[in-house]
Amino acid sequence: MSIFLKDIASDKLVTWDLFIDDINSALTYNPYCKSNDYYNVFQQIALSLIIGEEIILLDSDFTDSELINLTGYSEHEEFLRPIDKKKVPLIRDKGEFIEKLHKAPESWSITLFTSGTTGTPKKVSHNFHTISRFVKISKRNTKSIWGFAYNPTHMAGIQVFFQALLNGNSIIRLFGLNTTRIQNEIKNTNITHISATPTFYRLLLPYAETFRSVVRITSGGEKFNNKTKIQLEEIFPNAKITNVYASTEAGTLFASENDIFIIKPEYECLIRVENGELLIHNSLMGSSSMSVSEWYNTGDLVDIVVEKPLKFRFVSRKGDMINVGGYKVNPLEVEETILTLPGIKNARVYSKSNSVLGNIVCCELVRDNEQLNEVSIRTFLQSKIQEFKIPRIIRFVDELSTTRTGKIKRN
Amino acid sequence: MGIEMQKNLLEIINTVLDNRTKKKLTSINPEMHLRDEIGFDSFDLAELTVRIEAEYDIDIFEDGIVNTVGEILKKLKVEQ
Repeated sequence: MSIFLKDIASDKLVTWDLFIDDINSALTYNPYCKSNDYYNVFQQIALSLIIGEEIILLDSDFTDSELINLTGYSEHEEFLRPIDKKKVPLIRDKGEFIEKLHKAPESWSITLFTSGTTGTPKKVSHNFHTISRFVKISKRNTKSIWGFAYNPTHMAGIQVFFQALLNGNSIIRLFGLNTTRIQNEIKNTNITHISATPTFYRLLLPYAETFRSVVRITSGGEKFNNKTKIQLEEIFPNAKITNVYASTEAGTLFASENDIFIIKPEYECLIRVENGELLIHNSLMGSSSMSVSEWYNTGDLVDIVVEKPLKFRFVSRKGDMINVGGYKVNPLEVEETILTLPGIKNARVYSKSNSVLGNIVCCELVRDNEQLNEVSIRTFLQSKIQEFKIPRIIRFVDELSTTRTGKIKRN
Repeated sequence: MGIEMQKNLLEIINTVLDNRTKKKLTSINPEMHLRDEIGFDSFDLAELTVRIEAEYDIDIFEDGIVNTVGEILKKLKVEQ
């Protein structure tokens, strides 16, 4: 029995045969995909590839106002339409299924939303080529068992999904489980590969035993420090540990075994550093309504270690994005949302370094209604923005702290 | 001192729970597991460290993750 997905949070065990049956028997399709069930999301992506239709992934915790802002609608039921079964031949087995997935038409695209730098989330679309550019297909990979440790509607999760899907692997859900259950799943299902943020790995520690089945650990989305690496080497003694640099716009771009990234010769003319900022040529990018110039400014500040061949280390983010355990929070978006609450005169959202999540979102508020308190503000924000964007520490002040130039202080 | 500290910690834990509209606790004991029993996720743990640090000036997660109420109390006692 070949497992496609094991998800103990929703009590699901899906074999590849059942997965194929579900794709074969699907009668309707909705390009908008918003579900907190991992299997639904995976099924819909696979179905979109088979029928060659675009798919738009929405985070399951997007609020109504975020959905209207991003898509123009808060409900997407009306986009459901029947599938023309005559055009979609029956899939007989796993081999044929994977072969068909590879033949997704040029017109196929996957769209997701990233927290933008201007206050509004940005829409990014990828075609099959850009989304699968870093998928490694080989005989050696056919037996991989993936620990799935990302949100399935975010870029990192999508990349893990495609790697597992196109190699016919098993996916074991780890994201959103408590530590004991994660440890049990890794052990009991003999997971071989995990890709996650440093925060995810830190939460597995300390652990008295070792996970011997794991042969590959990938870490990304946040700065990766040596301390974490040493701890990981102890609990995953058989794993090769790799650090990757990826973005929603470009997908995975570079990998390294420590914090220094070495650019492969084939990318040499597509990557450059200007004023300390990493720039990526637009041929490496997914299509985005906002990227029109030849070079894309990543907003990541790097330190050049060697000029040729280019080797660099990440220093920090340009701009003000707050990295909370791998989730990017735009303080401007949070401030704008808080300011829509009557009784709030001014807001400053800033980041504070934190030993659990790397950073935590905090805010200072000036109120003219004494009735407003932490709980009422949080309740208001819960209906407007995603949970990870909501400030965890709220302080009420008489006036906001500013920098010497009169700008709001961010750190 | 120990009882006072435990009472204080209960209050901090309840603030974090209340902020996430999770059910408050009536008491805590050293064996209680922060994630499995109290139901804290990584965001709650991050908030907890900040609130404890504000009160005691100690980063309880500095040398790695602590798992139980008792481990927190131990860290706070050692430092005092």
